[in-house]
Amino acid sequence: MGIRVIDPKLCIGCNVCVDVCPLDVIRLDSSTKKAYIKYLRECQSCFLCEVECPEDAIQVVSVHERRMVTAW
Amino acid sequence: MALQVQTHTIDGIDVLVIGGGIAATFAAIKAKQAGARRVVQVDKGTVGKTGNSCFAAGVIHVCFPEDDLDDRVLRLTRAQGYLAQQDLIRDHLQESHVILEELRRYGVHLVMNTDGSYRRMAGRGAYPIVQFFSTQLMDSLRKYAQSIGVEQINRLYLTDLLSRNGEVTGAVGFHQHSGDFHALRARATVLATGSTYYKSIHPGQRDCSGDGFAMAYRIGATLGGGEQNDQPANAMPARVDVGPGMNKWMGEGAYFLNSKGERFMVRYSPKLKERSGLPQIVAFFCIEARMGRAPIMMDARHFGPEQMGRLYQMLPLPQREFESVGVVQDGKFRKTVEFCPTGPTTRPGVVVDRDYASRTPRLFAAGEACPPSAVVTGLAAAATSGARAGTSAARCARDAGDPGDENGQVGELRERAFAPLARPEGLESEHVLLELQEAVIPYDVLLLREGRRMARALQRVETIRDQDLPMLGAYDLHYLRLCHEVKNLTLTAELTLKAAIERKETRNILREDYPFTDNVNWLKWIRVRQEGGEQKWWTEDIPIDTYPVAPKREAELAYLWKMARDQGVVSVKDGRIEWASE
Repeated sequence: MGIRVIDPKLCIGCNVCVDVCPLDVIRLDSSTKKAYIKYLRECQSCFLCEVECPEDAIQVVSVHERRMVTAW
Repeated sequence: MALQVQTHTIDGIDVLVIGGGIAATFAAIKAKQAGARRVVQVDKGTVGKTGNSCFAAGVIHVCFPEDDLDDRVLRLTRAQGYLAQQDLIRDHLQESHVILEELRRYGVHLVMNTDGSYRRMAGRGAYPIVQFFSTQLMDSLRKYAQSIGVEQINRLYLTDLLSRNGEVTGAVGFHQHSGDFHALRARATVLATGSTYYKSIHPGQRDCSGDGFAMAYRIGATLGGGEQNDQPANAMPARVDVGPGMNKWMGEGAYFLNSKGERFMVRYSPKLKERSGLPQIVAFFCIEARMGRAPIMMDARHFGPEQMGRLYQMLPLPQREFESVGVVQDGKFRKTVEFCPTGPTTRPGVVVDRDYASRTPRLFAAGEACPPSAVVTGLAAAATSGARAGTSAARCARDAGDPGDENGQVGELRERAFAPLARPEGLESEHVLLELQEAVIPYDVLLLREGRRMARALQRVETIRDQDLPMLGAYDLHYLRLCHEVKNLTLTAELTLKAAIERKETRNILREDYPFTDNVNWLKWIRVRQEGGEQKWWTEDIPIDTYPVAPKREAELAYLWKMARDQGVVSVKDGRIEWASE
């Protein structure tokens, strides 16, 4: 599931989550000025966004977001 | 997608640093401190928040003045299967303590004793480690670099190096939000773009896509073959997204169990057990899997409050990740966790000398953008190599003068960079990535090797190269980056497989059809470069007689296979491995 939700009621549009995401999953909506999940499939559940969000608006779950090829 | 984008040229850069991890940031800091006026650090994410460094597992391997330097050189050289550039390894170890002190000055918090000395504790390996507080390390470094005037550009994906008359003169790429194309002209360039695990399991590396290897290859830089590594893969939680932490979990006393509930690492490696080096852990994982004894579980359910307290302090991200899937509840491990090797992480890095200068004028490399023989895996070597590369690049910028114009290369590279946007109906990068992963990630390709299996994998990779890559399409700039990343990964896989097929021996990585470590014929480095559009391969003898540490010049059954043979798992017949079950 990766990043599950960015609560729009809590989001203050500070852009921190957009900046810290290594994989460009999150963007800021230019009209609402709120962060939203744009490229979910890339999420690697690294939790940087959840940990750094000043408003605790983000929830992440450590489940593979896409099909994973593993060693076995 | 019709793009109305501009091309910006940034001139007058003394040192351009590509990458946002510890090697890159140290290179930028040191270049500035060495007198370079304009230092620009470019990252495809945000400096300090990309690659492996910001997810590093809270430990750093530093050689203290009271440690036995010769013994540490010997151990790292052995960990490299004697393929190390021993002079660089010694430089690294000698400088690692200086770097540690600098980290503290730059505001990095390290775990200290009350008397002000470092609190060292057991990690993997024979020497105790120093601990730091997760992402605080890279946050401090990024801020320190900014405070001394390093210019940082984020979300700029550099696609190619610029070159003129065989010299590197900067780089070009597109901004992932604006789409604007940037040409950065620099007197010296440092590549610190990390390694790759082919975007497999483990958070903190899916942006490591071999970009530096590919950029350097395309302008004709000499690369190592990429078939060997002191860390052939990492071992990670297999079915959930949980980041690095093995050093800490194992250091605190976690252990691995196979499907029969046996603590198998005790059998293979009685002394260090789960704290063995990664070549051992990965090899024994593979042998257990080959014998039908996977899955392999990590058990940390016995950890008490003190151990858990330390884990929460040092590894807040993985602990939070475990909590989110119910492995850790109420501050305690409640379940075992399946582990397996990540994708292979052999790296065809840029060949460097003691100044971390490549063989291409004005191009330097640091961290895992270098071959493992030059830079061992881990934060400390990334930092020391970055520091040297930055200092050398500043010197080059001062002495070598302006690089001059590259005669219309920028327009051509811009066209090539944006090409997938003209094919939105083309192949999705994700599909091509899956194809590539299925060719290289299964453990019996690059971790448990055999010539025919690798040849088959290479064929698949070459098919992707020839048939899929030209058809890649991108819906927008986000997908455009993914297209370039999968191209770079495909080249990395091709080079790695070719070199691995060529190295006809077992040296730290198991090879079934050549189980011997051949110190008569294979104390060699494999090299590759592109010359006139052709791939040129050759080997270079390791100057082992000039190094302090040398193995006996003989071929003998590799110690990894010896361990398996002593367990009755394999035998050797006609120079090949036979498995006990056959």
